[in-house]
Amino acid sequence: MNISPIDFYYFPLSAPCRAVDMVAGHLDIPLKKKFVNTWQGEQLKSEFLKLNPTHTVPTINDSGFVLWESRAIITYLADLYGKDDVFYPSNRRKRAVVDRMLYFDMGSLYRAIIDFQIPIMFRGEEPDAGKERVLLEKLAFLEQFLTDYPYVAGENLTVADLSILASVTFLEAIDFTLSSFPKIEAWLQRLRKELPYYQERNQDAIEEGKRMLSERK
Amino acid sequence: MTIDLYHMAPSGPCRAVRMVAKIIGVDLNLKNVDLMAGEQNKPEFLKMNPQHCVPTIDDDGFILWESRAIIQYLVNKYAPDSSLYPKDPRQRAVVDRLLYFDMGTLFKAQGEYFYPQVFKGQDPDPEKESNYKTALGYLEGNLEKSSYVAGDKLTLADISIVASLSMMEVLDYKFSSFPKISAWMAKVKEEIPDYKAMNDEPLQGFKAWVKSKKPQ
Repeated sequence: MNISPIDFYYFPLSAPCRAVDMVAGHLDIPLKKKFVNTWQGEQLKSEFLKLNPTHTVPTINDSGFVLWESRAIITYLADLYGKDDVFYPSNRRKRAVVDRMLYFDMGSLYRAIIDFQIPIMFRGEEPDAGKERVLLEKLAFLEQFLTDYPYVAGENLTVADLSILASVTFLEAIDFTLSSFPKIEAWLQRLRKELPYYQERNQDAIEEGKRMLSERK
Repeated sequence: MTIDLYHMAPSGPCRAVRMVAKIIGVDLNLKNVDLMAGEQNKPEFLKMNPQHCVPTIDDDGFILWESRAIIQYLVNKYAPDSSLYPKDPRQRAVVDRLLYFDMGTLFKAQGEYFYPQVFKGQDPDPEKESNYKTALGYLEGNLEKSSYVAGDKLTLADISIVASLSMMEVLDYKFSSFPKISAWMAKVKEEIPDYKAMNDEPLQGFKAWVKSKKPQ
């Protein structure tokens, strides 16, 4: 399939942006990358507000169709440009489990990561015990899911793995250890090896983000 | 066939599932889970849903939770041609975008403002209200462009968001500074069959409970 390049507005350290980048890599969708420095307020420029009034990244522009919310973007890309029926399955039950995990990521896991991590990362605060407890509880749910199955939504790699992978690896920016979650660690190791685009689209972006973070301090 | 719905009546996400099922004509066998009494932590429930949250459904052995995943599943399975969840990838993506906006921005900001008031009896926090109003402002902007949140037809996103916002009736919170939201909510409530029984009644019960907890 010949796919025209999609405009991709992103910020490197942002987990939802890395998720979209990895999904595009998985589906061989060409991206025209447009760096939006949200630390400098570039998302509030009028050109960007015209595209996305909620001024969030990631945002894509697919030949005039503008979309934001990373998880809506990745399911849209997989629906439209999917190569198989596994990555975002059409089987209703399987799809529902993938969707369930995307909502788990957004509402439980990634939210707990952000709540815990942002004050440490940006304001140099000490880790908050209450927020850490919530985070550990959400990680324990993920550990449970990965005890039952090799991937977060079942027997195969799906968009939900990449969304959650981007979220969990955000913790690398504060060197948070996952050693008490062996299933999550094993899943991470496996994906790092399995995904040919992992280094460029996730690891390098995190390193770039960490570099920016150290310059900011 | 009937689907079991484990729910707590006033919960917004639980009400969203009931409203969608009603519209597409799917019968639900309601099973109350009293979260205040910790019933979600009983072993039978944990075996079904280790994340112990409601709503949870059991559709002939298929267990699913996360309200927005449930309503997507119900339409995909039982009303695949319904305009509630359009098949066109772009239209569908806009519905999904608003479901994620509801969960991650709107319902989140609302909860941070609402829960400390109803469960801890705290005074309204102006900063939390300001965040909530920012989220409402995005929705208002959306409704300036189209008659429903995701276009010109009623979709899952309208139902999910109405379920969220109606929670504020417990505090008699008015959306008067958001005229588009106010008008759209009134219209959507009219369109949903049995709206009152599924929403107003449990919310009134919740409101009475909140009042009874308040020191006189």
